[in-house]
Amino acid sequence: MIIRGKVATTIKVALVALISAVLLTLTQSAFAKKEYVIAAFLAATIFAINFTYFSKRSVPLKFFLPGILLLAAFVITPILYTVVMSTYNYKTGNYISKEEAIDRIKALALEPDENNSAFDIVVGEFQTSDALLVSDIVNDSYFISTPERRIELNKNQVELDENLVAQASNGFTKLDAGEISASQAAIKRYLYNNEYFITVENLNVGAVFRQSLEYLPQQDIFRSLISDAIYRDNSNGNYVNPEDKSDFLEPGWRDPAWFTNYVRLINDERVRDPLISVFIWTVVFATVTVITQFAFGLLLALALNKPIRGRRIYRSILILPYAMPSVMSILIWGGMFNTEFGAVNEILGSNIAWFQDPTFARVAVILVNLWLGFPYFYLVSSGSLQAIPSELLEAAAIDGANPRQVFSKVTLPLLLQILSPLLIASFAFNFNNFNLIYLLTGGGPREQLDGEIAGATDILISYTYQIAFGSNLQDLGLASAISVLIFFLVASISLYGVRKSKVLESFS
Amino acid sequence: MTKWLRENLWRHITGWIMCAFAVFPLYLVFLSAFNESGSLQVTSFLPREISFANFDVLFNDERIPYLTWMKNSLMISGFVAVVSVVIGAASAFAFSRLRFKGKKFGIQLLLLIQMFPAILAISAVYVIMERVYKFAPSLGIGTQAGLVLIYLGGAMGVNIWLLKGFVDSIPAELDEAAKIDGASAMQTYWQIFVPLAAPVLAVVSLLSFIGTFNEFILARLFLIEVESRTVAVGLQQFIGGQYSENWGPFAAGSIIASIPIVIIFLSLQKYIISGLTAGSVKG
Repeated sequence: MIIRGKVATTIKVALVALISAVLLTLTQSAFAKKEYVIAAFLAATIFAINFTYFSKRSVPLKFFLPGILLLAAFVITPILYTVVMSTYNYKTGNYISKEEAIDRIKALALEPDENNSAFDIVVGEFQTSDALLVSDIVNDSYFISTPERRIELNKNQVELDENLVAQASNGFTKLDAGEISASQAAIKRYLYNNEYFITVENLNVGAVFRQSLEYLPQQDIFRSLISDAIYRDNSNGNYVNPEDKSDFLEPGWRDPAWFTNYVRLINDERVRDPLISVFIWTVVFATVTVITQFAFGLLLALALNKPIRGRRIYRSILILPYAMPSVMSILIWGGMFNTEFGAVNEILGSNIAWFQDPTFARVAVILVNLWLGFPYFYLVSSGSLQAIPSELLEAAAIDGANPRQVFSKVTLPLLLQILSPLLIASFAFNFNNFNLIYLLTGGGPREQLDGEIAGATDILISYTYQIAFGSNLQDLGLASAISVLIFFLVASISLYGVRKSKVLESFS
Repeated sequence: MTKWLRENLWRHITGWIMCAFAVFPLYLVFLSAFNESGSLQVTSFLPREISFANFDVLFNDERIPYLTWMKNSLMISGFVAVVSVVIGAASAFAFSRLRFKGKKFGIQLLLLIQMFPAILAISAVYVIMERVYKFAPSLGIGTQAGLVLIYLGGAMGVNIWLLKGFVDSIPAELDEAAKIDGASAMQTYWQIFVPLAAPVLAVVSLLSFIGTFNEFILARLFLIEVESRTVAVGLQQFIGGQYSENWGPFAAGSIIASIPIVIIFLSLQKYIISGLTAGSVKG
């Protein structure tokens, strides 16, 4: 039952047209919001889709284009962008682009007048311009203020309420809250006098400010209109007063920092020392995990390698930890290690604060990971044990080897050879076993009072996550640099594994 | 008898101990789920009464939109499972069967990409989707649609790689014969490859389903609204910090959420363990 001919062509054209239309709309809005890279990517996508499905030139492209586009958009681009981010000073306080930062600094540079004057206001329109109807009750003066001018009003030109606040005036149209939030009226600056202006604090109150900083685009500096101080671009994402380095303007912007983040990994001891200890624990954790999982899996496989009674029942029970969704199992174990209510302490009759002590927390992490992983190695070891030719074992026995020797001299070396790609893959997987650490201990225990980010059970990837999203200071640049480092580590482990399993042979 | 003891006793003892280890946490979960006190404090390892109070909380307490979470998880995982395999199969076919420039490079790139742990690029994904949100609020950060797109992208590498391995094992004579009979690449794909590969496509999509259902961290970062969460994120947030209080409903919830996965898993056992997933470890 294949759709062909005109029907198929019609469906194809309709589908491509629909997708192109959606993407085109997205391109336009991306362009309007100045996201030029995303807009260009979307435009290229539209072009690729139309070219591929309306030309007769490339048949293979018709097959793999959707997959490749998804890979490019959501895997390759983020990988490349991680590399880009790692060369930027990209963190809380230096998060936006320079243009946005300049706009924000200008908007935030407000200096109140000496009396901190604030007036009752009504937001509305006057002669097609946004306007405020201002009641300066203290001085008994009323006026309408627009961004460009100020129109004084006599008391008899306004309608006052019982608090002497002007509510209406001839020619002034009040806007309701919905209209105000839909317009720009609340964020404009309204003329007060030559120096000062009024900003809308809330719908009923306006405050008097003057601009305290001006931006000089030619020199790329900010100048204080009050103290005449100068703020220069410090090439690290902030405008700083050269005479007082602690005097800088908020917010900063993400600035190219080239290899600074990588240099920090080596030179800055507050970054380097935790990184080294986390790295050591990551390697220990992954190694011990693989060894324990494999040892227990192999022991079981050997024990159940004979058709003993109940073998099928054993097998179905043993596979359960592997079949459970791991997120659930980890959370359950987290509850079992609870100091007061946990089943583990209950059984041991102890009162151990498992997740408050570094050593106990590490033991717990490894124990839980053993539970999660031993069934996998039981299953693959059973399979491999059956793949070892029985002649080999018989020959060894005839040559006078006892069962222990047969195991250590024949079975184990063969098994290790067969399973080495899986052992390496398992190592690589556990090297980045984020879910286990994050859900079980959260990387802790850590000395939060010291501002320490790395916890005792943090592995590289959870440490990276902590740096990027965990604390108040989110340092995406540094986190990306560590990510790139991890990528090279994992890629070399994996490539080693691949070479072992000779996958590459098939297309060399 | 002594011979039996010497040869088999240690086997049964090992089996018993490891089974106890494997089952213990699961048994505790059942105990807590059907225990009214709703705490994780196990007063007795034998059930005294069977109560459905925790299930009642799960389904009727307004603070816990459990059914919505479950629905979200099933919808997201189901969609990703089907779409990623439909798209992945076509790519796998091209990489395995069709000749084109840059194919070898493409395969090597694919191998590299499918080894890359997606979580490493998580900050970049976050920043990119934050920007997408600025111009397309229905696709950016905080939306299920955006999350699904990222899952689809992430599933591509592995799926194409697994499926390519399978296509490679279909004898080339089959489609060469079809070619001689005048079939185009499209016809070969639809009439030879898809019918042959149907069981494998089903297995790979079920594997995708399990993987997506189990995914935690992207969902946690993306889905901020309580109503839009997946069951994994919802339950984790729900017990966060105060295990003793919510343990009962959590246990009940995790049992229900695990049932579909355990069933799929057990029925796919032989595929998961066989060469199909050689070199990959379940997450």
